[in-house]
Amino acid sequence: MVLKESIGEKIFKVCNYTFLTFLGFSTFYPFFYILILSFNDGYDALKGGLYFWPRVFTLQNYIKAFEDPLILNAFGISLFRTVVGTFLAVLLTALAGYALARKDLPGRGIITFFFFFTTIFSGGLIPFFILLRSLHLTRSVWIYVLPYLYSFFNIVIMRTYFQTIPDEMRESAVIDGCGELGIFLKIYLPLSGPMLATITLFYGVGHWNDWFVGAFFVSDKSLKPAATLLQKILSETNFEQATDTNRMNFNINRAKTTPEALRMAFLMIITFPIICVYPFLQKYFVKGVMIGSVKG
Amino acid sequence: MKIRSSTSTRNKVLSNKKTWKRMYDYRVLYLFLLPAIIFFFIFGYIPMYGLTLGFKEFRFDTGILMSPWVGLKYVKRFFSYFQFWTLIRNSFFISFIKMFFGFPAPIILALLLNEVRSTKFKRTFQTVSYLPYFVSWVVVATMFSKFLSPNQGLFNDIRMALGKEPIFFLGQVKYFYIVIVTSDIWKNIGFSSIIYLAALSSISPNLYEAASIDGAGKWKQVLHITLPGIMPTVGILFILSMGSLLKAGYEQIILFQQPPTIPVSEVLETYSVKVGLQQGQYSYATVVGLFQSVVSLIIIVTTNTIARKVSDTSLW
Repeated sequence: MVLKESIGEKIFKVCNYTFLTFLGFSTFYPFFYILILSFNDGYDALKGGLYFWPRVFTLQNYIKAFEDPLILNAFGISLFRTVVGTFLAVLLTALAGYALARKDLPGRGIITFFFFFTTIFSGGLIPFFILLRSLHLTRSVWIYVLPYLYSFFNIVIMRTYFQTIPDEMRESAVIDGCGELGIFLKIYLPLSGPMLATITLFYGVGHWNDWFVGAFFVSDKSLKPAATLLQKILSETNFEQATDTNRMNFNINRAKTTPEALRMAFLMIITFPIICVYPFLQKYFVKGVMIGSVKG
Repeated sequence: MKIRSSTSTRNKVLSNKKTWKRMYDYRVLYLFLLPAIIFFFIFGYIPMYGLTLGFKEFRFDTGILMSPWVGLKYVKRFFSYFQFWTLIRNSFFISFIKMFFGFPAPIILALLLNEVRSTKFKRTFQTVSYLPYFVSWVVVATMFSKFLSPNQGLFNDIRMALGKEPIFFLGQVKYFYIVIVTSDIWKNIGFSSIIYLAALSSISPNLYEAASIDGAGKWKQVLHITLPGIMPTVGILFILSMGSLLKAGYEQIILFQQPPTIPVSEVLETYSVKVGLQQGQYSYATVVGLFQSVVSLIIIVTTNTIARKVSDTSLW
């Protein structure tokens, strides 16, 4: 049915597109701006007026960032926790979701509630921290992995998706003599690629982005991930701004760049993997969010 | 035949046996769940027990279990803390304004996007709008502080070009809430709109067709079809966000907090982090956290109960 648009609808359409374009631009531009600054000579950037394109192009900021042992080590920690933490979390979450997807499992409701209750009531930060300390996790890299193996939301996503797989698949596998583990590995996992991609993204991004644990639970400098390092730099520069001491405390080996430009490069390196990954998983996580939000 | 007298007990025994037998049949599935049960017990329920620390004097050598009870000592101390009401006010106020502006924002965005006919435009916009959700608060805070910086920050560049004095935005009380709300919406609006867009796409096109045949204009259609169509989704998410009414979002606040803005930005969570994790007053900080957990729980249960009574949308 094609109806002629009224004048009011035409005006709305123009306003709508304009507004959305503006909103999209204001989301995208900050990232672009940081990108420009990270590729521009630090001293040149001090003159200001950089908005759309690098003026004095340089790779120095990135080279310096990758030469810094502290930054490299922090990325090593981030990489470890993201890869290991995400892999274990996805595997265990899928197993739990598979078991809970069975409507005939005795005690299914009780177990689900046992998990769910932790999302609406918690002990708070301090008892959690004391627990981590008494488990001797605060001096180990596993502090980033073990306490973050499950998220209730992701269990629900997996469970709900597994429930959409027809029971006949399982029954025919049972006749073929498959055990539960066999069914899980051979039938359910291969069929749920999109959902596995979704929770992998959620867990992975959570690990990569987390700065809080490293900042407040861990004291050992060599155990701090990249996001925590960025937070430390941020609070220091903010302090400088707050106390109005705009000192450029660069040392000799960093003479080719400024701390500010180095920071921008660091920011870009942290953001880059995310920009690379998430657009490809978009259609999957959109589905995942929808599934997770429907009351299972 | 003698057994007749005890049929009921026998049935019980039998059904118990059945239950155990059935559970034994499912043993592999329980094994799949075992790590999760252990995990939630350790990291979820043990800290809940740890809340007793608020009524004890923490001793490093013995841990929470063996620490001596001190009754309401720390509860009283917290209630008599001279900035107690400031903390409560800030927590509620920050959560409230974030919700007041942040809750409707993704709904409005979804409604606007729903009117866009060009698939290409829609998809590009969505891809871009999800990006901030996936980057860390640290990255967002660094960007904002860069943009708002008094030296070579974009906003102050514009101000200076207009011949005005640069402002240190993040160091001023009057701009703090604006920055918090704006950055929160900027980060989450795109991703939060996914759910609403899904709800919108599940509304049957027949309804719209029927309405337009009946002579309902665009506006009337939105009012009588679109909005009622997404109401259940809105309801569920509203209850969920009510639960975090006292959780002002400590990550964001810690990152944006500056010494001059502490009077308006210090909330229960940031205070708890400061006195607990930075000053080591564990018992006291536990009380602060407990206060928040209990109030949040009460709010979410109340909201859910009300929602169940007045509508058919509820979490449980």
